[in-house]
Amino acid sequence: MSKRRLINILLGTGRFLLLSLFLIGVLAPIYWILVTSFKTDAEIVNVNNITYWPDQFTLDNYESLFNQLDFGIYLRNSILLSLSSAAIVLIYSILGGYALARYKFKSKKMVIGFFLLSQMIPSVLLTIPIYIIYANIGLINSKLGLLILYVIINSPFCLITMRSFFERIPVSLEDAARVDGCNKIQSLWRIIIPVLFPGIVAVFVFAFIGAWNDLLMGVIFTLSASNWTIPVGMKALIGKYNVHWGELMAGGVIALVPTIIMFAFVQRYIVEGLTAGAVKE
Amino acid sequence: MIEKDKKGFPIRSEQRKNWEPYFFLAPVLLSMLIMTGYPLVRSIVMAFLNYKLTEPNNIYFAGLKNFISIFQADPHIPMILLNTIKWVFISVGCQFLLGMILALALKKPFKGRNLYQSIVFLPWAFSSFAVGIMFRWCLNGEYGIVNHVLMQIGLISEKISWLGSSDLALISVIMAMVWIGVPFFAIMYLAALQSIPSDVYEAATIDGCSRIKGFFLITIPYITPTMITTLLLRTIWVFNAIEMIMIMTGGGPAYSSETITSYMYTKAYGTQDFGTAAAMGLLVMIVLMLYSTIFLRSTRYEESGDF
Repeated sequence: MSKRRLINILLGTGRFLLLSLFLIGVLAPIYWILVTSFKTDAEIVNVNNITYWPDQFTLDNYESLFNQLDFGIYLRNSILLSLSSAAIVLIYSILGGYALARYKFKSKKMVIGFFLLSQMIPSVLLTIPIYIIYANIGLINSKLGLLILYVIINSPFCLITMRSFFERIPVSLEDAARVDGCNKIQSLWRIIIPVLFPGIVAVFVFAFIGAWNDLLMGVIFTLSASNWTIPVGMKALIGKYNVHWGELMAGGVIALVPTIIMFAFVQRYIVEGLTAGAVKE
Repeated sequence: MIEKDKKGFPIRSEQRKNWEPYFFLAPVLLSMLIMTGYPLVRSIVMAFLNYKLTEPNNIYFAGLKNFISIFQADPHIPMILLNTIKWVFISVGCQFLLGMILALALKKPFKGRNLYQSIVFLPWAFSSFAVGIMFRWCLNGEYGIVNHVLMQIGLISEKISWLGSSDLALISVIMAMVWIGVPFFAIMYLAALQSIPSDVYEAATIDGCSRIKGFFLITIPYITPTMITTLLLRTIWVFNAIEMIMIMTGGGPAYSSETITSYMYTKAYGTQDFGTAAAMGLLVMIVLMLYSTIFLRSTRYEESGDF
């Protein structure tokens, strides 16, 4: 018996150490960019004295982001594009997810296969013909062009996730609504949507973060600062020889804030959503 | 072994109206066909054209020229292919291992687990851009904290140029990829582990099954389907991920951290050779589809139902 207890204690300690290591591994880099963003330029590039806490706490980096660079515009573009594309993806996912969860139809397998295939196409490959199409219809360097791309990129995964949330809602719930005289749209709107709330939140956050985090599409399809999102605008800050670390770190911190807040609130739903979306039950 | 029942919800006859599902699917399907299906067809055609943005009047059918030039005329390709293999296998392998360890450590509930999870899973929601600059700054040769700490401990005596040396650039970007990718695996495996009914373990203990035996005979088989899906999804994702490379090294120095996908980007938007880039993309896609098919077949995934 005592041998078993010893093993338990050893396992417990090992587990504690492991979990601490993971925690440090995640927090250390985040801490470092946060601290750096509050340092003065002189302190950041002082090779002889690397400080773990700012000697001189300053908000200069954040101020110069907004005053000397167009960060306000990037921020507004990021918010606008992420919110609007997430809203459209959500509508697509609810309608499409409902169809895939509740109906049996001939080409269902083909439709699902198409969504899966779309995930395998390298996005750079797709941008090549889209670049030419956009050039022909004047969508290069426009927010609308980016919005369309964000909807397309994020729809398949969100739709498949939404489908599995639908599959967990018993059909009988809808039947009850039907008996009460609701038509299909009404029952979807009044009965299913409220029950589906966790799924809706999860899918919205997936789509929002997907658009918020994009760099590639922005770099390829936008040219002028007035259309840049945060990642694109910040990438322009990385010069070949001279990198403005303070401002870059401040921009990174601002880019992380919405994702951290959203993730903290909906972590549970997201875990649920990921499980539902990609794991077979 | 695991018996899986098909998820058969009762479907009433009146729900079988043919046009209804298409009506609901129409918006997303139309958008996808226009923005994915049609471009895909065009890029397949483009792979066989001489199509350079710099020569708009010199577009013609070139047969296999683009494909041949990838393998014969391009001296960087062997190294880039090797880089791609390292990139995919090392980063997916490490993400898988660390994710599994983290999930196992999180399996038993403890006080504050929810809070712990919302911190440790955070990188999953982070952008490659933010993580890229984060790691680029930490690994900075001159002012980087990593060099500083390593020197303080005494592990190194001279500053290492992580991103500036052709030996270390790729592995540095891979580290950032692992950091961002571990939570995904951990989340998936944790969910799978928690779905194992506890009475299975109880029964096994009564039968005199040790912990280690239990792990291999119960835990592993239970989460195998999850392992297959996550490995497949992540491999495809890592294969296509280039933003981290763009931010951290730009593929350099001297192509040492370029993968085939990031090289495709360089070809398309650096030299504006759309034809060759499309040919590369097509090859990548074919490889990914072959990989997926073989992977799913060899693991007999289909026998356990559909996606």
